[in-house]
Amino acid sequence: MTLLKTSRLDASRRRFLRTASVVSGSVGAAAAPFALNLASLNTAVAQTADYKAIVCLFLYGGNDASHMVLRTDALSFNEYTRLRSVAPESIALKAPGTPVVANAALASPDRLGGVRAIAPKFSAGLTGSAENSAYTYALHPSMAEAQGLFAAGRLAILANAGPLVQPLSRAEYVAGVLPRPKALGSHNDQQSTWQALGPEGVKIGWGGHLGDLVASSNTNTVFTSISVSGNAVFSAGETVFQYQVGGGGATQVGGLSGTLFGSNTAAATLKNIVTSTNAHLFANEYGAIVKRSVDAQATFQTAFAASTVAAPSRYQPPSMNLGNTQDNGLAQQLQTVARIIAARAGLGARRQVFFVSMGGFDTHDNQNPNQGDLLARISHALNYFDTTLGTLGMRDNVTLFTASDFGRTLTSNGDGTDHGWGGHHFVMGGAVNGTEIYGRFPQFVQKAGDSTDNAYIPGVSVDTIGSTLGKWFGASNTQLDTVFPNLKNFTRDLGFMKA
Amino acid sequence: MQKVQESATHHGAHASAYSHPPVDARLGLKTRLARGTVGLALLMVLAACGGGGGAGDGSDPNTASPGGSGPTNAAAASARFLTQATYGPTSAEITRLSTMSYAAWLDEQFAKPQSLHKDYLNQASGDAAAMNSQVNQDNFFNSYWSQAVAGDDQLRQRAAFALSQIFVISFTDPTLRSQARGVASYYDMLGTYAFGNFRDLLEAVALHPMMGIYLSHLKNQKEDLATGRVPDLNFAREITQLFTVGQYKLNVDGSVATGADGKALAAYTSADLEGLSQVFTGWSWYAGTASTERTNRRFFGNDGNLERDWRPMQDYNQFAANTNFHSIGAKSFFGVTIPAQTLTTADTKGDLKIALDTLFNHPNVGPFIGKQLIQRMVTSNPSPAYVGRVAAAFNDNGAGKRGDMKAVWKAVLLDSEARTVSTASSAGKVREPVIRLANFMRAFNARSTSGRFMGIGNTDDPSSRLNQTVMFAPTVFNFYRPGYVPSSKPIADAGLVAPEFQIVHDVSVAGYMNYMRAAVQVDTSRDIQQDYTTEIGLADIPADLVERMNLLLFAGTMPDALRAQIVAAVTSRAIPAAVYSSSPTAGGTLAKLTDEGGSFTLAATGTVRYGAGTSFVELSVTGTGQCTNEFFGSDPLVGTGKACFLFTPAPATGAPAASAPPPTPSNQAAIDNAKRDRVYLAVFLSMAAPDYLIQK
Repeated sequence: MTLLKTSRLDASRRRFLRTASVVSGSVGAAAAPFALNLASLNTAVAQTADYKAIVCLFLYGGNDASHMVLRTDALSFNEYTRLRSVAPESIALKAPGTPVVANAALASPDRLGGVRAIAPKFSAGLTGSAENSAYTYALHPSMAEAQGLFAAGRLAILANAGPLVQPLSRAEYVAGVLPRPKALGSHNDQQSTWQALGPEGVKIGWGGHLGDLVASSNTNTVFTSISVSGNAVFSAGETVFQYQVGGGGATQVGGLSGTLFGSNTAAATLKNIVTSTNAHLFANEYGAIVKRSVDAQATFQTAFAASTVAAPSRYQPPSMNLGNTQDNGLAQQLQTVARIIAARAGLGARRQVFFVSMGGFDTHDNQNPNQGDLLARISHALNYFDTTLGTLGMRDNVTLFTASDFGRTLTSNGDGTDHGWGGHHFVMGGAVNGTEIYGRFPQFVQKAGDSTDNAYIPGVSVDTIGSTLGKWFGASNTQLDTVFPNLKNFTRDLGFMKA
Repeated sequence: MQKVQESATHHGAHASAYSHPPVDARLGLKTRLARGTVGLALLMVLAACGGGGGAGDGSDPNTASPGGSGPTNAAAASARFLTQATYGPTSAEITRLSTMSYAAWLDEQFAKPQSLHKDYLNQASGDAAAMNSQVNQDNFFNSYWSQAVAGDDQLRQRAAFALSQIFVISFTDPTLRSQARGVASYYDMLGTYAFGNFRDLLEAVALHPMMGIYLSHLKNQKEDLATGRVPDLNFAREITQLFTVGQYKLNVDGSVATGADGKALAAYTSADLEGLSQVFTGWSWYAGTASTERTNRRFFGNDGNLERDWRPMQDYNQFAANTNFHSIGAKSFFGVTIPAQTLTTADTKGDLKIALDTLFNHPNVGPFIGKQLIQRMVTSNPSPAYVGRVAAAFNDNGAGKRGDMKAVWKAVLLDSEARTVSTASSAGKVREPVIRLANFMRAFNARSTSGRFMGIGNTDDPSSRLNQTVMFAPTVFNFYRPGYVPSSKPIADAGLVAPEFQIVHDVSVAGYMNYMRAAVQVDTSRDIQQDYTTEIGLADIPADLVERMNLLLFAGTMPDALRAQIVAAVTSRAIPAAVYSSSPTAGGTLAKLTDEGGSFTLAATGTVRYGAGTSFVELSVTGTGQCTNEFFGSDPLVGTGKACFLFTPAPATGAPAASAPPPTPSNQAAIDNAKRDRVYLAVFLSMAAPDYLIQK
């Protein structure tokens, strides 16, 4: 506990000091190396008038990834079935090819039918490929679209990913000597650790930090890091802050037009007051920021309003009768992202980091209907996003990855699962080397293999995922080391992105 | 008669219109009327105190206002002092302070008893238990706002807030987030010691269990030579770098001391911190009154004492089995060496005393802490001389005592640099968002219907709230660093710092404006309600209304151009003319002077009615007047040609009521709405203005 706090605060304190010096520009010696790196990157980016975006899809609550991607060989699947088919309500999904039991309860494994087999290519040389190729795999029955994306080569699986300080075997975990991430099992700390490499309180997320490195390649740096679902530390950088938008667009300063408190002219006066230059240096700077905010919002809204993409269809939750479709909030968030991407020219953006999210994954109980619906929604939304990007001709320019607090326990608690650690994730896009599993896919077994007593010890670190994406984004190794201080302990490039 | 003249001085020939409330109810006018008397009284007090500038005991009220059409100098100066020393001026406190010296006000504040947030939490805890729930952060936020807005120990409140930004702990900590009462008691502790001695404050900070958790010296253990374990260095580092000494050696005026090579001199070495880290071992949860209760299990957090979240940590060493947690090795720091001890001579408390005394007596503390307190209350960029005067007060309160915080607050708030309005383009500081909200609630007498000040909660969300919440700093480095320089070339080139700009960005400025635009409006569903009675009473005369904003929100520093813009915006919300069922000639006769658009001249002061049909407004006019909406302040009958009439009361025939107040207009609701809108416009435009956002 004592050691835990020290590291956390030391980490945040270092980060903070770095922020202060870079932002202020007052400490020349400290700021200079960063600026040099930035300049060299800009040259590289400027030479290719391209566009790239990273989209983080965060699954709040801790997705039971063992239910999303499964090993279906007997070694794993028998144990999976044994541990998860416990009373009162079995959550054990059925083997591939199992027919649907039409009169079974909605969203129950029987009603869903067998899991959906996938056929990874197991290309030589990939991390884990040789071991993984000995086994068979499948997706949750509700993820038909994801199955198609995987087969089409635009979706890959990152096996057993999660926060690590350094690689950790089961033997090392049991010995308890090597460091492990702080506050494992704690929702907000692990959310923060996935997003910002440290427990809650850390201010700089690696998405925003990657944005720092590329911001000046954008005409308007305000639109570098955009959150479509509220404040998320992932999107906050050192110099780049997260620009927050909703389905309707950007946060507008209200009262600057139209009628203000019954007056037709006061709005114009207000706008003039809050954006005017001022003889006082601080007041002038404040007014400049307000003006930038107002202008950015106007710029954003002009570009955004002119940018239309097809709206997502409704999706079929497995917990509801066929035909009882629902709006897919995640697909709507991705629609907003797609609109912004389509508006990139008007926004002057060449490199962008987006954040979208969905909640409800803390499935301690009622996992069958609750997680079934959520996974159906993910699958439907990914397919919508892929199709929309295809229409825009932007598939190769946009990469989406999933993240979540943690995976869940191997065992069922009767109708759900509890907090774990490692979990499987998706990465999707035209630049992804799809139809592959990256990282060793663990055997479903307690107290052996890659497991603690009841959860997976991650094999792929968050740092590696971020670094692989960051390299695709255009960051140098040196820069990636500043974003991911522990990267030196891990594989720098997992290979899931095309060069 | 005097009232008419006073008003006429400011607003031409205006006097009373139908819709005016009784003049006595108009506090703004009363304040202004009191000018001569109050100014004289204050000067007399100053004379008695010896008066004068410098780091003296009083103030020069004549330096506070740009003069001319602003509030009286005394009122503006009082408001400005209260802006620095409290959560914001109120009309009542401005008036009261105008009759006493600032030094006397400070002494009065030093003597006011403290209300404990912990008591509020205990009360809430009882309520929560009845509902089978627990106290949470919101309970503390409610308590915080109840005291910030309504507490009369305002200096203590503001001082505690300033100290909470130096001795930082935060609800963002994963453990503290569920320790609402512990954090409340920590905040209480800062208030308690705010007017004591810095040495005692430092010890209370070091031993508070919430700080122990936050900086991890709670249950910190001594080094273990066998395994190579060393004590946690966290608290040793921060108490040195952030709470007392700072990174570099300082001159007494706060400037960084440099060596022969021109480089800044480090104030400490890592060896100093390692020595200090040994001192902060063997401390853990309060266990009870008997030392034998300090067991191994309690050290590690088991068998918790019910009061351990707010009682100071205790030393665990040799009082029970297996509690040899305190380092007994030799400890060296800042040139002091505590010799090695044995298990039986281990002196956990004695070591702490030596360490805290050493830090407290470091010559950096006065300028290091003093400058930050100036930055929190007065200005981001104090002159070295100002810092030097505050540091001198820290070093010696005049009676040979070091660390007397009362002397420090006096030095911060009574210094001539604090008391003089500077016209420099770098003067003052960005107002902290939380203080802006407090400023608003106090200026307009906000009160809680339930008495609990509920509903504000966490105000962190930058896109819809304030981007700041008390006790919610992201790290031990506070919301912003004292040396933060915004990415603004003119500010950087001028060598200025502006800490609060660290939490001002494109999203937060929009969030603040949207938050305040909603907050200024009366919403009867809220627990906390502002009271605009006085302002609504001024709504007929926009210049008066805006003048009140100038006093309460700007302490008299509102620039004339801004004032003109806000007055115009307020005026643009027309107030419908009162419509009466009775004839305008009731009680007398009307003689037409001119049609709308014309002008007229009266030989003597007379009552002129402007309007048509049964809709008229009335003014007392001397000399020449214009038969226009502008001159009469409103349009009594929109869309209809009007005229001006001299009203002559009917000769008294027994009853003296020549011009009896008319009955309530039939369109009173529309009039009230318009007046409220005018108040909203005046408050919101004022608080959105960059000139307000910089406290000068």
